[in-house]
Amino acid sequence: MKEVLVIGAGIAGIQASLDMADAGFTVHLVEKEATVGGHMAQTDKVFPTLDCSSCILTPKMVSVGQHPNIRLYTLSEVGKIEGEAGNFTIEVIRHPRYVDESKCTGCGACAEACVMKGRIKNAFDMGIGKRGAVYIPFPQAVPLKYTIDPETCLTLSRGKCKKGPPCKLACAAEAINFEDTEKTVTLRVGAIVIATGYDPFDPKLKPEYGYGKYPEVLTALEVERLCSASGPTLGEIIVNGKKPTKVFFIHCVGSRDHTVDNLYCSRVCCMFTAKQAHLVKDKVPDAKVTVTYIDIRAFGKGYEEFYNRVQSEGIIYRRGVISEVFKKGDKLFVRGEDTLLGETYEEVADMVVLAAGLVQRKEGLEIIRKLGVQTGEDRFFTGPSPLDPVETGLPGIFLAGCCVGPKDIPDTVVQASGAASRAMSVLAAATSGGNG
Amino acid sequence: MRIGVYVCHCGTNIAATVDVAAVRDYAKTLPDVVHARDYQYMCSDPGQEMVREDIIEYHLDRVVIAACSPRMHEGTFRKVMEKGGINAYFFEEANIREQCSWVHSDREVATGKAKELVAAAVSRVHLQEALQEKEASVIPAALVIGGGIAGMTAAKDLAESGFRVTLVERKPALGGHVAKWTTTFPHMMEAQEFLTPLREKVTAHPLIDVMTHADLVDLQGFVGNYEARVRINPVFVDGDACTRCGKCVEACPVNLPDEETWFLTQRKAVVLPPPPLYPDTAVIDAEHCRHFTEDACHACADACPEQAIRFDNAVAEKTVTAGAVIVATGYELFDPVRKPELNYDKIPTVITGPQLERLLDKNGPTNGELVLDGRRPEKITFIHCVGSRDETVGNLYCSRVCCMFTAKQARVVRERYPDTRIRVCYMDMRTFCRGCEEFYNDVQHMGIYYTRGMVSEVFLRNGHPVVRFEDTFLGEVMEEETDWVVLAVGMEPPEGSDEIQNLLKLSRSADGFFLEAHPKLRPVDTDTDGIFLAGCCQGPRDIADTVSSAHAAASRAAIPLFAGKVAIDPIVAEVDTEVCAGCALCEEVCVYGALKLDERLKKMTVNEAVCKGCGACSATCPSSAIKLKNFKNNQLLAQIDALCVKGGGA
Ligand SMILES: Cc1cc2nc3c(=O)[nH]c(=O)nc-3n(C[C@H](O)[C@H](O)[C@H](O)COP(=O)(O)OP(=O)(O)OC[C@H]3O[C@@H](n4cnc5c(N)ncnc54)[C@H](O)[C@@H]3O)c2cc1C
Ligand SMILES: Cc1cc2nc3c(=O)[nH]c(=O)nc-3n(C[C@H](O)[C@H](O)[C@H](O)COP(=O)(O)OP(=O)(O)OC[C@H]3O[C@@H](n4cnc5c(N)ncnc54)[C@H](O)[C@@H]3O)c2cc1C
Ligand code: SF4
Ligand code: SF4
Repeated sequence: MKEVLVIGAGIAGIQASLDMADAGFTVHLVEKEATVGGHMAQTDKVFPTLDCSSCILTPKMVSVGQHPNIRLYTLSEVGKIEGEAGNFTIEVIRHPRYVDESKCTGCGACAEACVMKGRIKNAFDMGIGKRGAVYIPFPQAVPLKYTIDPETCLTLSRGKCKKGPPCKLACAAEAINFEDTEKTVTLRVGAIVIATGYDPFDPKLKPEYGYGKYPEVLTALEVERLCSASGPTLGEIIVNGKKPTKVFFIHCVGSRDHTVDNLYCSRVCCMFTAKQAHLVKDKVPDAKVTVTYIDIRAFGKGYEEFYNRVQSEGIIYRRGVISEVFKKGDKLFVRGEDTLLGETYEEVADMVVLAAGLVQRKEGLEIIRKLGVQTGEDRFFTGPSPLDPVETGLPGIFLAGCCVGPKDIPDTVVQASGAASRAMSVLAAATSGGNG
Repeated sequence: MRIGVYVCHCGTNIAATVDVAAVRDYAKTLPDVVHARDYQYMCSDPGQEMVREDIIEYHLDRVVIAACSPRMHEGTFRKVMEKGGINAYFFEEANIREQCSWVHSDREVATGKAKELVAAAVSRVHLQEALQEKEASVIPAALVIGGGIAGMTAAKDLAESGFRVTLVERKPALGGHVAKWTTTFPHMMEAQEFLTPLREKVTAHPLIDVMTHADLVDLQGFVGNYEARVRINPVFVDGDACTRCGKCVEACPVNLPDEETWFLTQRKAVVLPPPPLYPDTAVIDAEHCRHFTEDACHACADACPEQAIRFDNAVAEKTVTAGAVIVATGYELFDPVRKPELNYDKIPTVITGPQLERLLDKNGPTNGELVLDGRRPEKITFIHCVGSRDETVGNLYCSRVCCMFTAKQARVVRERYPDTRIRVCYMDMRTFCRGCEEFYNDVQHMGIYYTRGMVSEVFLRNGHPVVRFEDTFLGEVMEEETDWVVLAVGMEPPEGSDEIQNLLKLSRSADGFFLEAHPKLRPVDTDTDGIFLAGCCQGPRDIADTVSSAHAAASRAAIPLFAGKVAIDPIVAEVDTEVCAGCALCEEVCVYGALKLDERLKKMTVNEAVCKGCGACSATCPSSAIKLKNFKNNQLLAQIDALCVKGGGA
């Protein structure tokens, strides 16, 4: 058996797939979204090197799309898993794209023609940017094939769009297919790598921060999109229609916090905040940027040095996180306690960034739980030994990336290769055992 | 010649600063350019497809793509050339992003420069030669250096994938640092409970050859085909005969400070590594054994009931071949003598975290009892970040584990000796690993005082160490008398890293640890193909992260082993034997050892698999006899000439 299943195509799933494919195994990579890339594709620059995220990710995404040993199933989910290590039978459900992947050239004529163009919040841009009912999430998507969102497409939701769907008329390749249906593919694989990643913590669970109520209060992922040169504001920091002058970052939102039942540290928010503070200061040099924190966890290679650099750029670090964001008159205020000075303060703010932590995915994990993969008190997947995080304890099934707990990109990539190693051992044994 | 030129927008990365349409139109005016286009993302699927189709439709035989750095996408575009049916090396990438749009803000100037860079690339691509990639076969085996948990985990993975592994450990026994720890954070599993099954799998696996007390002395070759020489240092004891009775240890007259406890205790010149280690026989330390150093003492030989002592054992050397090499040499602990204000070497009850681990270990020198010189502490003060995050000792980095091992030790002490009063002085609590914040929460509820503030001095008053620290919450400097002070010393690269660096031609990052090929996306690869990093030799980390990285290194190493072949980059040095005078100057400058003089013909020869195409040789050769393929003088000069003409010289 030389075939393997990878669930989730964020950087973890991508790396695990490329390792195994390069070694000569056939990889079936299943991703529920229309493109591979996961959260890393949404980030602008990465700490601590400030490399442009898509610049380092795109080559990997392209390789996944082109690798002769990788079968990529986007807009797909795993429906059923049966069997045992060395010999699993998998059902992959392919949701309809309504655009024929084999015909679509990615030219975008359909999106230009779509009646809904510019009217639907693009989830990839955290709702800041707008798209139509037929769209690609972002220009470097892999595969670069358009997708029709059945909920907002007038033809699919109401049965009628203009005199005839403009997208269909616009598509020279005749790729639009409203008759597309769900399909099931059955696979046989020797091992499984789970790389389903994370969800960002929902800051509405901390109502004291006013997220969703005040447009000046943003999540970190939203700020990633604002910073991105190819994002909805072309890299300009515009909050509530204005360039901000007083910016506050709040650490540990939804992490280290028993009130939301997340005791754990999310491991990356200290650093992505340092990065974003730097980027905001760089783009809006006159802004006063303050970061409020409990502990600074700058522990990776070059991280402490990066934190030192950010501090030297005139960004203010105050110990003690802000406890409340509120409006007085037409002004937004933050209230906090500086635990080092032992004083409380109230200050005006026109941009507040919540370093929302990482939580286990809410949806789509039933099939994995049904397999018997355990979860910890933090709800992330876990195996029998915390000292060997890639193991599930179930033969032939391995874990990689943020579905095993929050971590940064290097640690995610490490774990992805790690899971690949374990999976390849199982595949090799199954092959030499004559099952393959 | 029919050249196609493509100008990439890279979204707005290039297009915002460079007028791509103008560059495209300009390219059309360059000699032999028959086709030019601009496009959103050249690296995207349709971008690549467009080039492939154009090559066929316009009969292109050379292509220039003006986009990002060739480090990003040269490989991508070379494949497109092949798909279009032309040689992959009839291609040149002009870097108008990193070298132009990203570093300029004036649109006009940037556009002008982009034009010049395109003209230079066009001029050079005219002279580019067709090259063919070659393949080399791969020895399906691996060499792992370092037998800590990283090395053992990597070796086990590779063996389980069916590859022969040689595991070289320089100490007499496997296990590394974890063998010396008691319980492990965050789940308080006994270290041995984790280590013993791992060690047993490694030593019992038929495909793993364990060489302990051994050093790597030479490594030659290249990915797929390495040859190593390993020196096995004798232990002077016949392992098969030794029964671990310990009579030799009793008989040995030598006493010296024990490195294994960081000199907290004494040892003999013959030692018995503690039982869970492998191999479990007595070991004679020739450097201190009087048989070798002074008077041919043979007290142990006389005492041994099995006649297992072998003073005549000699050094052995073995040759090992492997397709890939994993470095897992771990770390060493910071020596707090380098922070004299802590008086570690002057006050006996100022000890280090690792020493405390030994004292808490049931198999340790005190059988797990918390005593020093017969006295048990009533008060202990722990100090974080000793030798880490500290410019004064040159270590800016955080050691990642000391917050947690301190919390673990504080907890163990409180559990075993509930009346011990404990204060921990810290800067930031870095309990980020999985389960660790929860652990820290629990520990805080055990009556342990956590004080934020760094310690400036430890000194002796009335026979007790006094800790001076600043409580940053109260904003006050305090002095507190205590019984023991435990220094949470950080990690540094181990001794011998220089030798390994030289033998394997590795790089080091600013912190002194081995450098990975890319900090984000190639965290366990090195710049040398076929050599990988596992565990703390790349930087401090806990067991879970060490084990992950060891699995990862095994995966990366397994790729060529499974594939059975590796591609050899054709951009290598080439000798013009007509011109070569055999002076061998180039052989000296080649750091990769790719060059060898043919003694009979007196001509230089190139090992193409080893050559990295760095060009050092061609710059050295006085008669230009050795050249780098596709980086020849005429090719480079054509590029430079074009750049020297203002506006690119159409
Ligand atoms: C605001 C922010 C900024 C950050 N900045 C940085 C940074 O600068 N540097 C850094 O190192 N790290 C950064 N990180 C961390 C980084 O995002 C993660 O390390 C990384 O994205 C984890 O990758 P992953 O593949 O594990 O998860 P994900 O990126 O979440 O990918 C998981 C993939 O699996 C898919 N999936 C999920 N469930 C299923 C299912 N049931 N079936 C099929 N597919 C499924 C998802 O659609 C997704 O594509 C940042 C994080 C945040 C929140
Ligand atoms: C006091 C203390 C307590 C700790 N407690 C915990 C804990 O409770 N939980 C936890 O998760 N982590 C803990 N850690 C971290 C843990 O020790 C490391 O994660 C682990 O040791 C890393 O393993 P390694 O194999 O990379 O390195 P090492 O353990 O250093 O092993 C490296 C091996 O390589 C060998 N070697 C070195 N150079 C050469 C050479 N040139 N040739 C051949 N062999 C060589 C060495 O002899 C050694 O055997 C603790 C660390 C400290 C300092
Ligand atoms: S990484 Fe930093 S901000 Fe994030 S939860 Fe941990 S301590 Fe808080
Ligand atoms: S892990 Fe904690 S004690 Fe160790 S260097 Fe980092 S911050 Fe300091």
